[in-house]
Amino acid sequence: MANWEDCVHCGLCLSACPTYQVTGLEMESPRGRLVLLNQWREQPEAHDVETRGWLDDCLDCRACESVCPSNIPTGHLVEAWRSQEAPEARPPRSLIQVLELLLGSPRGLAWFRRMARWSQTRWGDWMVRQTARWLPPGARSVKAGLPALHSRGLSRRRLDSDGTGSDIFFFVGCVMDALYSETNEHAADLLRLAGHRLTIPQGQRCCGAVHRHSGSPETARHWAEANIALFEQSGAEVVAVDAAGCGAALKEYASLFPPDSPWQERAQHFQNAVQDVVQLLADSLPPLSRQDANPVTVHDPCHHVHAQGIAKETRSLLGRAGYAVTEMRESTLCCGSAGIYNLTHPDKSQALLTRKLAQIPDDATYVAAANPGCLMHMQSGLSAQSHKQVVHPVDLAWQAYRDAGLCATRSVTS
Amino acid sequence: MTGWLDQLRQALGSEHVLTHPIALTAYAQDGYTLASGRPAAVVLPASSAEVQTVVQILAAADKAIVPRGAGTSLSGGAIADSNSVILHFSRMNQIHAIDWHNRVAEVDPGVVNQDISRALAPGGLFYAPDPSSQQACTIGGNFAENSGGPHCLKYGVTLNHILMADVVLPDGTTARLGNLAGEPDGPDWLGLLIGSEGTLGIATRLWLRALPIPPASRTFLALFDSVEEASRAVSDIIAAGVIPAAMEMMDKLAIHAVEQGAYPVGYPEDLEAVLLIELDGEPAVVDADRRVVHGILAARQVRALREAESLEERTLWWANRKTAFGAMGLISPRYYVQDGVIPRHVLPEALDTIGRIGERFRIRIANVFHAGDGNLHPLLLYNHQDPDEVARVKEAGSEILAYCIRVGGSISGEHGIGIEKLQEMAWQFAPQDLLAQRSVKQAFDPGGRFNPGKLLPTPGRCIDFRPVP
Ligand SMILES: Cc1cc2nc3c(=O)[nH]c(=O)nc-3n(C[C@H](O)[C@H](O)[C@H](O)COP(=O)(O)OP(=O)(O)OC[C@H]3O[C@@H](n4cnc5c(N)ncnc54)[C@H](O)[C@@H]3O)c2cc1C
Ligand code: SF4
Ligand code: SF4
Repeated sequence: MANWEDCVHCGLCLSACPTYQVTGLEMESPRGRLVLLNQWREQPEAHDVETRGWLDDCLDCRACESVCPSNIPTGHLVEAWRSQEAPEARPPRSLIQVLELLLGSPRGLAWFRRMARWSQTRWGDWMVRQTARWLPPGARSVKAGLPALHSRGLSRRRLDSDGTGSDIFFFVGCVMDALYSETNEHAADLLRLAGHRLTIPQGQRCCGAVHRHSGSPETARHWAEANIALFEQSGAEVVAVDAAGCGAALKEYASLFPPDSPWQERAQHFQNAVQDVVQLLADSLPPLSRQDANPVTVHDPCHHVHAQGIAKETRSLLGRAGYAVTEMRESTLCCGSAGIYNLTHPDKSQALLTRKLAQIPDDATYVAAANPGCLMHMQSGLSAQSHKQVVHPVDLAWQAYRDAGLCATRSVTS
Repeated sequence: MTGWLDQLRQALGSEHVLTHPIALTAYAQDGYTLASGRPAAVVLPASSAEVQTVVQILAAADKAIVPRGAGTSLSGGAIADSNSVILHFSRMNQIHAIDWHNRVAEVDPGVVNQDISRALAPGGLFYAPDPSSQQACTIGGNFAENSGGPHCLKYGVTLNHILMADVVLPDGTTARLGNLAGEPDGPDWLGLLIGSEGTLGIATRLWLRALPIPPASRTFLALFDSVEEASRAVSDIIAAGVIPAAMEMMDKLAIHAVEQGAYPVGYPEDLEAVLLIELDGEPAVVDADRRVVHGILAARQVRALREAESLEERTLWWANRKTAFGAMGLISPRYYVQDGVIPRHVLPEALDTIGRIGERFRIRIANVFHAGDGNLHPLLLYNHQDPDEVARVKEAGSEILAYCIRVGGSISGEHGIGIEKLQEMAWQFAPQDLLAQRSVKQAFDPGGRFNPGKLLPTPGRCIDFRPVP
């Protein structure tokens, strides 16, 4: 893989970088960060708060990587710096431990969902408002962006496997499983409508992306091993995933393991099998024609467009489902959610959010965003001026096929 | 009296005045990697008034000023020395108004070139000069370098598209140059400042000419087994009276690099040259031109001819071409791109000569260029950690420029002189020409405070740009 030394300083990455866009500082651009990484390595006196801050402000959004003509993996390099050389730049250990408990197992996830749901009850809402002063701003906005949660449980508990001969291992994720369980159910319905058979192993783990980005690769590796083993046992050919962030992480499983690890080949096999649900559905559902559909605009999550090159597919899925897509400017610019960036860097995250929301076309009712982080973050900014809604494209497509009588509504209580 | 740094902090807010050594290191280079220099400070003004204040403060402190847009200059134009302060325009990046009726866009200097055409597109307009760096480079940088681009073959360079500009002069006063009618009354001061590489004035607001998007446009790839035949085809096309919107050429090594980059087109591996040709205008004219061009290409033994079938395909072909410089990073640790211009008819011979110079100095050279107007971009590949190779690259580069002058061309088509081609200026211009240019500089900037050490070779003045490595 190319390294910081291979940067030819052409500057073509500058305008793609969200942190450069909002700060205007060369140090907050990909090209500048490569200079900083070099300084960090060569000059111990560079190890100060400012330099660490400029590097750590990187969103890992990969926008620089998709435009760099020299294929410099700047986002990856900053991530590696965070985990190997700058333990101080990682989020506090306590936060990681909490996330590990909550996201790491179905039990933790069920708890997480219950807590989130409780925060939406009258009492919970009151409590949150009372304690708002003590909550970090990022946490308050997460609460504001939560989808309306019904009393159903994790999606994995509500989805049945199709038994032997299933071609798809359906990856339910963690946040998707807990907070967007309906979206997972809709994805499963549509995959079946497209002729697939699904298996949903109950023991599957979180993809590990957050831990990896925050400098705890051991946890990520541990969970990856569990997922790889389950996939091998399932006999499926494809791992289907409907969260951009998880998809990008799953497609990089091999890089979690050292080259000589016995897991290397298995991880390679696994990651080659991963496909986003949007990719799988883009051209395989029956086309609907509808006159009444509300106009939709698309936000391209970084981990779709920059990490996986998915953009066209979202539009063709929505088009097939009968929606008219009006494009928003800067659809590929990060919304500021970026994993847990909204918790760790509230100011920059808000600046990016404001910029993103300003680009939503007036005539769009829905903003389609195929990633839970983006959904929550963008919705949190919108809640006040409520007539617009941020929705997963799978949900939009599902509604269309339900209206056409091709998918059935499920009962709300499980 | 407080020091100049404190005055700057007071004027702009301390977060917009950078002095941290690592921050200054991030600003030590632009797109020209054979030199670097660390500025005394970097300031980020937010308005014309702030720029004026900064110029006044620094004039009183006898500090030099280097404006900077995106730092994509290929001649070291945005590199500063330790007595200079960089004025970075990244915060002045608004498109203020678009006059759809008169087709004029009023913009800040820090607006990215491509964003202007994006903003104009909904009204069926575009901004013609399109440097290959257009996704990042700024209009202020284009103003200073009089930048060109593939489509300048037909539409002309930056000079033809800036109608009016507000500038801050070295003495701290401001002036509005040019007018919205686009006709100079009296001396063409605007024309003098465009292309003066920030040595005479700093642009703080620009009024740009927008053009209607042509009703028809067709894009072709002509694949060749011989560079020579491709070059002859270029001359034949122009000789036949066709002016394509763009006519770009890449040779084998360049193709090899771009195909590994972010936008591979799928060129056959054994290809010697490719021409990217675009025709635009009224549909009937485009059709007629297309027939002429096809005839010429066939006569010149084109191996295959492809026409873009969709907007996506056209965009991909252009992205492939426009990222060619950067893609050199895939086949070499560093590259040095040159910008010589030659009369079109010597193209075949020129490529041959460049090839031989490369062999003599043991330097690999890829060629990417605006073939239509004879603007060559030889890319000299080198390893910056090999001092001997760095020395050879510089010599080979000089020799190529000397050749361009010898055949009646020039040392720079569009990238500017900067600090890169100071020595060659003395080859291109007679002493009295240089003297005349120097007196213009003297009249505008007697203290030599705007972009010192650039553009004009100054006898006896030593600037401490550090060669790299
Ligand atoms: C990959 C690549 C491809 C390129 N392709 C082309 C091409 O096709 N055609 C072409 O012409 N060039 C090309 N260039 C060169 C470069 O992009 C242009 O010279 C561009 O105009 C520089 O713009 P910038 O904003 O990066 O300016 P900078 O590099 O920041 O500055 C360039 C010069 O302008 C001065 N300057 C900046 N702003 C102002 C201002 N407001 N007022 C006064 N002076 C100012 C600076 O002091 C400096 O001397 C290319 C560069 C790269 C890296
Ligand atoms: S990953 Fe995103 S934020 Fe980080 S340098 Fe690249 S573009 Fe900028
Ligand atoms: S685009 Fe790539 S090569 Fe160019 S400056 Fe950015 S990181 Fe370096």
